[in-house]
Formats: sequence, structure tokens, C-alpha cells
Amino acid sequence: MSRRLSILLLLAPALIVLLGVFIIPMLLMLLLSLQNDAGEFSLANYLLLVQDPYYLELLGRTIRVSFWTVLCTLVLGYPVAMFMAQASGRVRGIVAMLILAPHLISVVIRNFGWVVILGEKGWINVVLLRLGVIEEPLRLLYNELGVVIGLTDAYIAYMVLAIATSLYAIDPSLYKAASILGASRMRTFFDVTLPLSLPGIVAGTTLVFSLSMSAFVTPALMGGSAVKVIPVIAYEQIMSTLNWPLGAALAFVLLGSSVLLVGLFTRLVETKRYKEVFTA
Amino acid sequence: MKRFNWLGVVTIVVLLLVNMPFLIIVPSSFTSAGYLAFPPDGFSWQWYARILERPEFVDSFLFSLQLAVVTAVLATLIGTLAAFALSKYQFRGSRAVNALLLSPLTVPTLIIGIAALMFFTRVGLAGTFTGLLLAHILISVPYVVRLVLTGLSMFDYTLEKAGYMLGATPVRVFWDITLPLIRPAIVSGLIFSFLTSFDNVTVSLFLIAPGTTTLPMAIFSYMQETLDPLVASISTVVILLSLVFIVLLEKVYGLERLFGLNTQSH
Repeated sequence: MSRRLSILLLLAPALIVLLGVFIIPMLLMLLLSLQNDAGEFSLANYLLLVQDPYYLELLGRTIRVSFWTVLCTLVLGYPVAMFMAQASGRVRGIVAMLILAPHLISVVIRNFGWVVILGEKGWINVVLLRLGVIEEPLRLLYNELGVVIGLTDAYIAYMVLAIATSLYAIDPSLYKAASILGASRMRTFFDVTLPLSLPGIVAGTTLVFSLSMSAFVTPALMGGSAVKVIPVIAYEQIMSTLNWPLGAALAFVLLGSSVLLVGLFTRLVETKRYKEVFTA
Repeated sequence: MKRFNWLGVVTIVVLLLVNMPFLIIVPSSFTSAGYLAFPPDGFSWQWYARILERPEFVDSFLFSLQLAVVTAVLATLIGTLAAFALSKYQFRGSRAVNALLLSPLTVPTLIIGIAALMFFTRVGLAGTFTGLLLAHILISVPYVVRLVLTGLSMFDYTLEKAGYMLGATPVRVFWDITLPLIRPAIVSGLIFSFLTSFDNVTVSLFLIAPGTTTLPMAIFSYMQETLDPLVASISTVVILLSLVFIVLLEKVYGLERLFGLNTQSH
């Protein structure tokens, strides 16, 4: 069998699936998003999305929720990553298992757990009411807070792992050098650890941000009808309203805004980082 | 000695929070009450018996299992073949093909589901098992490709040559030399594809046939109407099943390494 034929035969099944389930459908969706009701070429769907205040608010909410999720995963995840980087192999393995394993279990089930915990009769409210800390049950669910809690739980592992990877790579002798030169622990953190872990923060941030932007299950279950985000509206447009061109346009706006924001962020950080490198 | 204490405290809190849903769900499923309460009232197996009275959960469980097994086998086969082509032969455009094969990872599964629905409607695959299966395979193949490529990157092809020189047939060489050496990567591909398919909601949402459903979707719809201990008992079953696979995955490949690969959304 010739070499070229072997390559082709080995790759064929994967390429056929890729073409038939990904590339052609994506192109078709793009064409569909550029059609009006009469089936003619038109930018009407996109114009509607950028002009109608309802959709702008929707986009704003989707971005806001994703932003808070990134912040929460970063604040909660960084210490965990630092702990992992400093821990012995055995402890690190246990922490990795405990933080990563839940992420391979259905997100529907994890959200269900959170609904039980955060609900009006959930145990957080029950405990606080019994202790007399609060008079009325707190609204922890079916609002943006609920969605951010759910998404933080869903994506924190990615943040932890991204930061941990960059922390593992730091040469320990740098810490020694800093301490010999008399730097306080705080100073060492801000001048050595933090800047060197920046690539990990950027990787984790972009990953968590884009995942949050397109999350559907968690906003639907933990935000309810109060917190509609773009993925939820896209689903409704396609499955209930049957306005496929608008649904397709929503999907591309989601993809586009996510890519754009991630790109801007990366650029901002990179420029800043290079500046530091060159002036130092 | 006291140096890392606060990091340890935060870590323990985060680990507790991340695992909190399971710590709540499992005990809640054994309640004897007719409603969800924490701490649960009494102890009974009644909510497990009730699962069997709900055909939508039993049927969707069997359906999900079937779908996940077929997806895992086919995605692993397809992905492994592609990885072989990329690793064994250096050809023009191989980097582009590699990037192309991994490209579905960069698009949210929700969007893949929408696009697939639009195309499948035209070609008559919408609402068919084949259509659903193809979409599940698509989102699993990139992981298999990456896993097996990593496995193959440490594979020494002179071992294959030695096999041929000793007169072995290509099948024999593959079976006795190549396969055993990359088995961990292939097994991880199988397990990971299974879990990806078994847990998927966002693709199935658009491609499922009317009247059939997958287990996560059945739980998803049920949750939007009622919250009772039945969801807890069925969830506990899924948690236990997933745990078996996760422990296997950790043993075969290591979760920390694996997570470098996992970038899909839900």
C-alpha cells in the first residue's frame, strides 16, 4: 500500500466526521444567520442584535456573569494552585483528585446539589435562620449570584490547573534568592510569584471566560427565568420560537464577542508584561 | 511550619465547596420524607425503588449508556487512526490537519449542537440516533487524538521495524508491539469519550429525537418542574457510576495530566 493511501485511509474517518458534523454545519449556520424572513441575504439579524436594547442587555448580562465567574475562580483558585505547587507529591495528588474529579461528573447533577444547598429551604438558609443571623431567607438562587456560584463551581478546576502549571515551572532558587536579598514574603509574592504565574492566570482567565460565556445548563437551572443569558435565548429562539436565522446570529455574536474580549484581554496583559520586561 | 497554613485552609474550604453538591445529594437520597430536606428525615431506600417506577429515567439511562459506549468505541477508533497518521508519517500539511482535527475544541458544544441541527435537518439526520451519535463522536475525537498523539510521541517506531524484520505480519506487529505500548492512551480515550458522551447535555439538547431522551437531559427537564428526592437518588447512581470511571482514569492516565486536555463547555 502506498504511503499516501495509508495516510488518507487513516485520516478519512476523522475528516469525514469533521466535515459533516462541524465544518459544513458551521458554514451553513453562517449562511442562515445572514438571511431575512424571505430567505434573502441580509444583515438584519445582526443589526437587530446590536440595536435592540433587549439583546444588548442580554449580552451585557452574559459578559457580566462571565466576568464575575472569572474573578471568583481566580480569587478562590490561586491559593489552591499555590498550595498544590508547594505540597509534596502525595498531598498534591489528593488535592488534584478532589478538585478535578467532580468536574467529570455531570454538571446537571452538581447544579442540582447547589439548588438544594442554596434554595429558600436549603440548608444555608435553614442554618442561618435557626441561628437567628437572618430573619428572612436569603435569595441565593434564580438570580445572577446563583449563576456565578454555579459557574464558579463548574470551572474553578481549569483556573487552578492553569495557574498551578505555571507555578510548577518557577525555579525554586528564585524564592531562595529573594529571601537572601531580604524580601518579605509579601514582596516575594508580588515581585516573583505573581509576575511569573501571569501566563497561567491569562490561560485560566481566557478559558474560564469563554466557557462561562457559552454555558447553558447552569444559567438555565440556577438562574431560572430571571437570568437569561445568550445561550439560553439562542436555545429558545431555535427550539421554541423556531427563528433559526436569529438563533444562528445569536450563536455567532456569542462566539464573536467571546473571541474579541479574550483577544483584547490577552493583548492588554501581554503589552503590560512586555513593558515590564523591557523597563526592568 | 506555619508558613503555608492559610493556603491550606483556603484549599480545604475550596475542596469542600467543590464537593459540597455530592455531600448533600447522597445523604438526601436516603430520606424517608416525601420532600428534599437537609439534614434528611429518617432513612429509607424508597427513592431508589421509585426510580424503577419512572420509565423515563430507566429508559434514558439505558439509552445514554448505549450512546456513550458506541460513541466511546467509535471515537477512540477514529481518533486513534488519525493520531497514527499524524505521528507515523511526516507529510505536507500534517500540522494543519492536526489543528483542524482539534478545532471543534475551540467552539462551544452548544454552538456545535445548533449548527449540527441546522445541517442535519437538511440531510434528514435530525432526530436520528445516527445524527446524535455523529455529534457525540465529533466532540470526543479531538480528545482521543490528543491523548493518543501524546502516547505515540514516546513510541519508538524502530520497535515496529524490528518486528517486521523478524517476519511478523503487520497485524501481529500492531497487536503485539504497538498496541501494548500505547494502551494507556487508548484506554483513557475510551473512558474519557464515554464520560464526555454520558454527561453531555448541550449537544443532545438539539439533536435528540422527540420521545427519546438521555439521562442528563431527563434529570435536567425533571429538575425544571419538580425538586424531590427522586433526583437525588438517580443522581447518586450516576455519581457512583462516574466515580468508577474517574478512578480508572486516574489509575490509567492521571487526572492532572488529563485536565490539560479538557477544555469543553457544557
